[in-house]
Parts: sequence; C-alpha cells; structure tokens
Amino acid sequence: MVDHISFEVGPGEILGLLGPNGAGKTTTLRMLATLLKPSSGRARIGGRDVTAEPAEVRRKIGFLSGDTGLYHRLTSREILRIFGRLNGIDERRLRSRIDEVAAMLRMEEFIDTKIDKLSTGMRQRTSLARTLLHDPPILILDEPTSGLDVPTARAIEEFIVEARRSGKCILYSTHVMEEAEFLCDRIAVINEGKIRIIGTMNELKAATGRQRLREIFLALLDSDMRKAAVV
Amino acid sequence: MNLKAVKTIYGKEMLDMFRDRRSLISMIVVPVIAMPGIFAVIHYFTQNLGRKAELESLRIGVSASISQAPILAALKAAGLELLPQQDARRAVENKSVAAGLDQTRADDGIDNIVIYRDRTREASSIAAERLTSVLEQLKLDQVKSSLRGLGVSERILNPFTVTSANVAADKKMAGFILGSVLGYAVLLLMFTGGMYPAIDMTAGEKERHTLETLLASPATRQEIILGKILAATTASFLTAMLTIASLLAAMQRMGMGRGGAELEKLISRAAPDALTVGLILLTLLPTALFAASLMITIALFARGFKEAQSLLTPLVMVVVVPAVISMLPGLELNVGLALIPIFNVSQLIKEIVLGEYSRLTFLTAFASNVVYALIAFAISVRIFKNESVLFRS
Repeated sequence: MVDHISFEVGPGEILGLLGPNGAGKTTTLRMLATLLKPSSGRARIGGRDVTAEPAEVRRKIGFLSGDTGLYHRLTSREILRIFGRLNGIDERRLRSRIDEVAAMLRMEEFIDTKIDKLSTGMRQRTSLARTLLHDPPILILDEPTSGLDVPTARAIEEFIVEARRSGKCILYSTHVMEEAEFLCDRIAVINEGKIRIIGTMNELKAATGRQRLREIFLALLDSDMRKAAVV
Repeated sequence: MNLKAVKTIYGKEMLDMFRDRRSLISMIVVPVIAMPGIFAVIHYFTQNLGRKAELESLRIGVSASISQAPILAALKAAGLELLPQQDARRAVENKSVAAGLDQTRADDGIDNIVIYRDRTREASSIAAERLTSVLEQLKLDQVKSSLRGLGVSERILNPFTVTSANVAADKKMAGFILGSVLGYAVLLLMFTGGMYPAIDMTAGEKERHTLETLLASPATRQEIILGKILAATTASFLTAMLTIASLLAAMQRMGMGRGGAELEKLISRAAPDALTVGLILLTLLPTALFAASLMITIALFARGFKEAQSLLTPLVMVVVVPAVISMLPGLELNVGLALIPIFNVSQLIKEIVLGEYSRLTFLTAFASNVVYALIAFAISVRIFKNESVLFRS
C-alpha cells in the first residue's frame, strides 16, 4: 500500500528509497515500472505517463530487482538477445551491443553457459546486463545486491556509480544503510506507504539532529510507532 | 500489436520448451512410445495369448463313463488330445485340461454328454465350443444315417437355412475401431502434451521470478500472452501430429508382420490416407489453440508448478469423458452435437476415418471450435492483465 508519495529524480542522480520490509518500496517501484497500476495519482518517467503510455515508459527504463529470476535453461547470451529484441534493437546492433555489455561486466567467460550452471554473482551480472542492454536513461533498481556476497555486491555498486557518472537517472531501493550512504545523492525514507523524509544526507542530519543514517532511520520508525500507539 | 515482440516471445518459449525434459517427455516421448505401446499390447494379446489358448484348448479330459466309440473317434478326428480322467470336472477346475467330458444316463435311457468348462478361461471356452460343435455334428450324422435307413430324406431335418451377412466392409469395421481409439488417444495426449509447457510458461515463470522481468520489457501483456499461447498451441499440436504419425507407423508395422490375428490384419488395412490425415489435423488445429488457452488461463492462477499441476490434472480427466462417450457405437454427429466441445472433435475424427462425415457437421464443429478457442484466448488475455492474479503471493 502506497499513500500520496511524491518525489523527483533527475539525470545523473541516484535517489535511494529506504524502508523496512512491507514499507511500500517494491510497490512504488512496480508502479513506476508499469507492472502495477496506481489506483489514483500520476507518475511520469522521462516525460511519459506510466498509466497512459506504459510501453513507452518501459522502453526508457531498465528494471532490476534482487529476486529477479533468469531462464535456467537458456544462456546469458540467449537471454540478452531476447530482451534486446523486445527492446527493438536491430539484429546487427544487438550482436555488438551484447559483446559491449558482456565486456563491461566481465561476462565473456560464461556468456554462452546455461544459467543453471552459473554462480549467484554471475547470474546477477547477467540480470544487470539485461537491464542495461538497451542503454535506458532511467534505472529502477529494487535491492539489486540482495543475497550477493560482498565482492559481487561491491562490483554492482561500482557499476551503478559509473552509470550515474554517464548521466543515468537512478531510483534505488535498499534496506542496507551503508549501501544507501555510499551510493545515493538523496535518500527518501519510506514507512507504512508514506515518505517520512527526503533529502541529501546533510539535509537528513540537519532535520533529525542525528549523524548516522541508521540512527536517522530508526528514529523515524520509532516516531511512527509512538504515533501509532497514541492513536 | 507488435508482431516482432510476439515472435520473440514465441521463439523464447519454444527454445525453453525444447530444453525442458518434462515438456519433451509429455510432448514427444509419450506419443511416440504410447502408440506403439498400445499396439504392442494388442499384438501380444491377439497373437501370443490367442495362440496359447488355442493350443491349450486341445487338451480334453475324458471320463471313463464315455463309452461310445464313435464319440471318441469323432473327437480324435477333430485333432483333440483326449486325456482319461477319473473326475473330469475337477480336472477342469484345477486347469489340468481345458474342458472335460462326462456321460450320464437319464431315466428315459437317453445318454447325456456333459461338457465341463470354465468361462473365465479363454482356452476352456474355445474347447467347449469345439466339443459342442463336434458332438452336434456327430449327433446329426447319426440321425441322418438312421433316417437314410428308414428311407426318409435328410431334408426333413433342414427345411430352410439361416445365415447372417455383415454389410459393413472389413475396412469400415477396422475404421470404426481405429477412429474410436484415435480420437480418444489424440485428444488425451494433446492435453497432456501441452500441459507441462503451459505450466512452465505461466506458473513456472512466477515461481522462478522471471515473469516480472518480461512484464517490465516494452512488450505489451497481449503480445506476451499471445506468444505464450502460440507456443503452447504448437506443443499440443505437435503432440497430436506425433501421436497420429506414431499410430500410422505402428499400424504399418503390424500389417507387415507374418501371421497375426484377423483384427490386426483388419486394422493394418484401414490405415488412413493423406486426405484423411489432413482433415484430422485441420479438425485438431482450433482444438490445440483452445486447449493451450484453457490450460494457460488455469495455470496463471497458480503460484507455482505444483499448484498448477493439481489445478490442471482434473481438466485432463474432464476432457477424457466426452472423448470416451464418442467411442460408444451408434453415435452420429448432427449439427447440435457438433457444438459440444471435445466430443465434436473425437466424434468427427471417428467419422472422418470411417469416411462418413458430412460437410455441414464438419464445418459446424470446426467453426464452433474456432469460436471456443477465441473465447478461451480472450479470457487468457484478460486474466493476464489482472494484477491480482499475476502478482498473487
């Protein structure tokens, strides 16, 4: 359940959505990725309305979630080819683009191996390659490092930083505080379907009087719980 | 609608399907093995068991009370192996002989020959029928001889004869058997053949968390579901084609065999020609689309593979009922019956094999199946757009 959420993210910016489980992060991201229809309100991505022009919105986004599955019986290259075609990339360009993305994510060694033979890290790199293949200006990433070991998670984070440097607009959901502090230009704390606070790390510190993101986050949650108890 | 996207989804499903062991088993292995399997069973029963029963039926237990030399001579002349028994009835019960003969004398002095038989054993029934025939013939010969001695014509015993003639040609008889089995088998295997692919591309995608990725691509839901339904239709239709091909190959093999029972020879001669096969496939085409759409719609409600399997298994059982009804003799397709899904297909297949279908019922059945397929397809699309079904957890 999401209630009157409002925010903007610009090019070359990472906005972090931070919240406990069930806060509404995934629902928000699914609505923006046009997987769910909002019951009311409006959302625009790259100038396109998510309800009125869902296919256009999907052309502009790269969507990745931590529990994204892959087709186990296909190879990474076959998966990239399928999603490249669905994104309208012509065959000749697709071949070179797959090689480019594979080189960028160091996938050459396993790109022709079936997914069920790959490690979790290799699979997540395949998912990331699938997300970036059509070079979308907007990335919607829902806990993309969830379940990964530290080196793989770090590699993904570095890649996201690189994507920001290239001007991509990134919406990033996580519940890992260190990750949010390291990656995000601005952070929105979401709880019970509402945005409790939004701003840069300095703005969050100033507004709450706390220094660490973990303390800010817990203080906001604690305040919500006390309000609920009074009601 | 972007047909390139539909083609991409279709291609992806086909690639995935041909690498899935479960789908390959239900789609290819079962029809290719099931049909020759059925015929191998028929072959075994008609040839081996029949021959064994035939041999066994020659062993007759004869009680010491059978004293008439002409009876024993007639039985020996018929090629029967006569085995003296103290208790002929018991010998039949403990299966040491196929049938037994005993003799009693009634109060009026007439000898009564008793034939002991076990109706649960084929060899015993064959032996009893043969004994009856030999003894009846002997009785008739004796009566004729007596009449001749008295100077009376034999014709007095046979003022007229009775014979019955089957107007159905052998080929028609075989076509009836073949058509009934074919319709039932093809429909059953079509549904089971399409079931695993339909589950894998819906509930399987949910379970593996791949559906979300597909939905977030620029392909519309209509394009995605159309690609999936076409792939499941291909699976069902491919199973039907393989079932028919396997059946024809099995029939040809049977026809080439030496010896064999009449039924086998009959069926092997009733092999349908290319036009008949073409008409059967044309009949099955909308049914494949109907089956695929129906199974995909149901499987979409499931959260995972196992749940989808338990939802779809009863459907296959429901499908079998109208297919079995059409196996009953005496049923003929009319315009009203041609509107009943599944039944119309299996009945029509039977009539096509028999060469007795009418254009009107063929077109009615075909058109109604196209309509059912389109309705099922429209429902699939609607369900696929339903968020609460897609993201059910």
